[in-house]
Amino acid sequence: MSKPVRIDQRLMQEGRRTRGTLYFGIGLGLAAGLLIILQAFILAHIVNGVSFEGLGLAAVMPLLWAMLALFVVRAGLSWAGELVAFRASASIKSYLREQLLKHLLQLGPVAIAGERSADIASTMIEGVEALEPYFSRYLPQMALVSLIPLAILVVVFPEDWISGLILLITGPLVPFFMVLVGYAAEAVNQRQWRKMLLMSAHFLDVVQGLTTLKIFGRAKDEIEIVARISDDYRRSTMAGLRVAFLTSAVLEFFASLSIALVAVSLGARLLQVHAAVTFYTAFFVLLLAPEYFNPLRGLSTHYHARMSAIAAAKRIFEILDMPLPEKPQPAEDYVHSQEISLVIRDLCFAYEPGRMALDGVTAEFPAGKVTALVGSSGAGKSTLANAILGFVHADKGEILVNGQMPLNAIDPQLWWRQLAWVPQNPRLFHGSIADNIRMGQADADLAALREAAKNAHALEFIEALPQGFDSMIGDLGQGLSGGQIQRIALARAFLKNPPLFILDEATANLDMENEALVLDAMQRLIQGRTAIVIAHRLATAERADHIVVLEAGRVAESGSHQELLAAGGVYARMVAAYRGEIHV
Amino acid sequence: MSDYWRLLKLFFPYKFWMLGGALLALLTILSNFGLLALSGWFLASAALAGLGGYATLNLYNFFLPAAGVRAFATTRVISRWLERVITHEATFRLLAQLRSWFYSRLEPLAPAGLQGYRSGDILSRLVADIDTLNNFYLRVFTPFLVAGLATLLMSGFFAFFAWRLAIALFLFLAASGLALPLLAERLGARSGAEMTNLQSEYRVQLVDGMQGMGELLTYGAGPEILHRSNRLNDAILQRQAKMAQISGLSTAGMSFMGNLAVWVILILAIPLIHGGHLGPSDLPMFALGVMGSFEAIVALPLAFQFLGQTRQAARRIFSVADSALPFPDASGPAPDVQKPDLLLENVHLRYPGSQQDALAGVNLQIKAGSKVAVLGATGAGKSSLANLLLRFYDYQSGTAQFGGHELKSFPADQLREFFAVVSQRSYLFHTTIRDNLLVAKGDAEEEELWKALAAAQLESFVRSQPDGLDTIVGEGGVKLSGGQSRRVAIARAILKNAPWLVLDEPSEGLDPITEMEFLRDLQPLMAGRTVLYITHRLLGLEQMDQVFILDEGRVVESGTYAELLKKGGHLSHFATFRNGVVGEKIS
Repeated sequence: MSKPVRIDQRLMQEGRRTRGTLYFGIGLGLAAGLLIILQAFILAHIVNGVSFEGLGLAAVMPLLWAMLALFVVRAGLSWAGELVAFRASASIKSYLREQLLKHLLQLGPVAIAGERSADIASTMIEGVEALEPYFSRYLPQMALVSLIPLAILVVVFPEDWISGLILLITGPLVPFFMVLVGYAAEAVNQRQWRKMLLMSAHFLDVVQGLTTLKIFGRAKDEIEIVARISDDYRRSTMAGLRVAFLTSAVLEFFASLSIALVAVSLGARLLQVHAAVTFYTAFFVLLLAPEYFNPLRGLSTHYHARMSAIAAAKRIFEILDMPLPEKPQPAEDYVHSQEISLVIRDLCFAYEPGRMALDGVTAEFPAGKVTALVGSSGAGKSTLANAILGFVHADKGEILVNGQMPLNAIDPQLWWRQLAWVPQNPRLFHGSIADNIRMGQADADLAALREAAKNAHALEFIEALPQGFDSMIGDLGQGLSGGQIQRIALARAFLKNPPLFILDEATANLDMENEALVLDAMQRLIQGRTAIVIAHRLATAERADHIVVLEAGRVAESGSHQELLAAGGVYARMVAAYRGEIHV
Repeated sequence: MSDYWRLLKLFFPYKFWMLGGALLALLTILSNFGLLALSGWFLASAALAGLGGYATLNLYNFFLPAAGVRAFATTRVISRWLERVITHEATFRLLAQLRSWFYSRLEPLAPAGLQGYRSGDILSRLVADIDTLNNFYLRVFTPFLVAGLATLLMSGFFAFFAWRLAIALFLFLAASGLALPLLAERLGARSGAEMTNLQSEYRVQLVDGMQGMGELLTYGAGPEILHRSNRLNDAILQRQAKMAQISGLSTAGMSFMGNLAVWVILILAIPLIHGGHLGPSDLPMFALGVMGSFEAIVALPLAFQFLGQTRQAARRIFSVADSALPFPDASGPAPDVQKPDLLLENVHLRYPGSQQDALAGVNLQIKAGSKVAVLGATGAGKSSLANLLLRFYDYQSGTAQFGGHELKSFPADQLREFFAVVSQRSYLFHTTIRDNLLVAKGDAEEEELWKALAAAQLESFVRSQPDGLDTIVGEGGVKLSGGQSRRVAIARAILKNAPWLVLDEPSEGLDPITEMEFLRDLQPLMAGRTVLYITHRLLGLEQMDQVFILDEGRVVESGTYAELLKKGGHLSHFATFRNGVVGEKIS
């Protein structure tokens, strides 16, 4: 229970950003509410005049014109209110989206690796969108819900204190009972909602696994299971909903019954020879009675908006609250160098306490040489690469650039400009092939582009596409193979041509022809540069100037291919085991 | 229209629930109308009686209208609650009906008939469509039916007094309920469509940004992503501002029309009352009645929005459900299989909509009990072989005999009993490990499950989980590594205990060390079974009795691995290619 309240408070803090607009919106709503009282006043006069004073149409026409004018003004206010409400939420939405993305970019790829990207995207799009009704409807309605009924009471009491009393007593009972029934119902609703999601997820699951079910001859049985689960779900949900719907029944109960009560009590008092109330008063009060409960009705509708806003806000704040790594102030005096060497000393890193990914790694990556990182999966190769890329921050130890500058004292933007990274499954981005190769080199001309593509063995297939370099990635669908994607990513690295390369050799999803082209391009890319290659193939390691073998987060041994074979350690055993397996 | 008609026919078994809910909704609206109208009339007539002195007072029956007012109020409270309970109950029943109906249409189609819908994206859209259709009853059917009936009844009530009042009310309700929302929809259609496009573009950008963040950052594209995000956000907000204007117009227009209706009715009624055609107490009744009547059409703007959505959803769902069966299934008992040999002679298989044969005259023979590998590059037709065997796709010509009988003469379900399949596409359901295993053998004892897990080298992992066999896998549970999920598939194959084992690129996508362990652990499963090992790698071929090399849908070479290496044909070309230029994997 306390949690939604805390999120409420945080949301309202965000609301301060557009306080002025919010107040303006509330003012418009209040004005519209007050005009309703005026409207009831005029209408009561017209009806009273015609029915009890025998006036004709001509006599009440001025009042009718006044009423029509009022309608127009009210419609205008309602329209303006809608626009202002939108304005209020729009700036909050923009602000939150920008904050979210900035925060995610600062967190970096490794920190968000556990988060599903589709989930983050829908938090930023639909999640932020779900906040709109909170600011544009729920908050203003919260203000109006007390102001308008109060104004109506102020008008009704002098006219007829008995009716005023009936409204005064029944009004507050509505929120009281709604809180009583509503909070329980809210908890039930949220549980049910989650269950409903599960239910539809289950159906998707079954549909996606249909082929597997068929292989096992169980596809037909699932029809019954789908029906049964739906049925179970219906039974349990309806039990909850029957209670939840009492919320609206309570509102209806007090609203309808107090209108009936006001009407009957007024009717009884009118039925006297010297009646204490006039028809005018009675009718005026009766017109206002439904309006008295209307804001409450609105509140119960927008309560739903509040609930989904809070659910969305929870996720938004979760992301915003993910802690950023602590970084010392970047030194200013780092200048670009043509050659880069790295020295790593006693580097330790754990993704979570007790699970060391790097457990005291000490290694050297000399300038102008290709170093291969070798080890089984989970040995720490990717973590080490991520540390060098600045995506994870070591718990202990340091990485020294060119012998003296600690890596974490360099502004990441400057550091990234000095290197190119090609991951195992490179990603192409929405845009043309040219955009993708030009990434980070927006001013590169077509000749440079072709040169880079040629070096990466990508030119031939790119030019074979109908639109060539201007082909849009999204439109190609499954048109590009894994190997072609790899080659475009390599072209990107060729074009950037930095002093340091970090590559994760591709293994899976390449057929044989592609594999050869990709590996050849890769070899040519790193020749004579400082390169760190996470090697998955014997040939790659063999060709490297230097090999670092990792095992369980430590450097097991290092040296050249020949040295390591001669040493007869982990690497030699790996090679032997593999050669034994494949009978070449 | 015919889509809705079909939808209604589908829902026919639940007609009483549907109509019951709608009638209660109608009752709720009419009782509000009654409450307001009667209260107005009651106050005026009571006041008139009071003014008339004792004579009229004694004639005035106070209790009947007072009781009526109370009765309307009570009815409204109860019918409102019942309406919500019944309509929701009906919605759930309809949803269950829709799901099982859709599933029963989908099941015979998979996988050949669903070829165009293979990607998870489209399937999940279909499932979402079912959820959208769920709105049809609650948000489309009921509001329209209720609004129509209530409008007729309320106008009919006014007709008792004066036709012109009834016609005015009817016209106002129709204009505000139909014309106004339609106008708003027409005005907002373009911004709405643009918004959908912008949002999906935004989503693509964000997913790109998240999944490729490492590359984007190192290429210095971080600020560019922020910039693009802001630009798209602004573009979306711009459309939304337009839509807010339109929705503001429609809300304001609706309440203005309600007010205008009161105004026009007054103008029409006042001369009638002044002229003595109608009683003075009728005027407040008209005024309040008109105010109450607009509740009937309040839900219509939303109903129009859902109308469009449900129409598209229904169209997509029906078009899938109506897909023709890819090929007829054999009926009757399966032929008797003594020895499950496979013989393919000049078999041609072409996928629907394709220009080329996937299998273009394949000849091969697999004797029961032998271990056979089929090697080939992507697109050579390897997986089509598995699709042929499992009767997922039909072959157009040639002879394909299993145990001496044509494959076409087997009912697909019974043919599949001969095969256990381990492939990279083996699907893991997002449920417990136990349920995932029981898919293979519904009546397996717990002990049997553990045995299968042990044989698949997964036992210690499952034992180490706090929930053991009841550990949930996938989203919302423990995430299994690639190797572990593949082992679940092995355990299933063990449980199924079929005479044939089809390994369809079983180790694809695993890292090299896991791959080797995995292939090693497959060995015990192969013992005593006929094995068809489909691969594009050389790994593990030496253990096979025979290797067939497939190229462009034909067998181009066959023999043992050693023979083929010696022969200097395709296989040795692959081998030198791989080992000379590329090198095998070491890590």
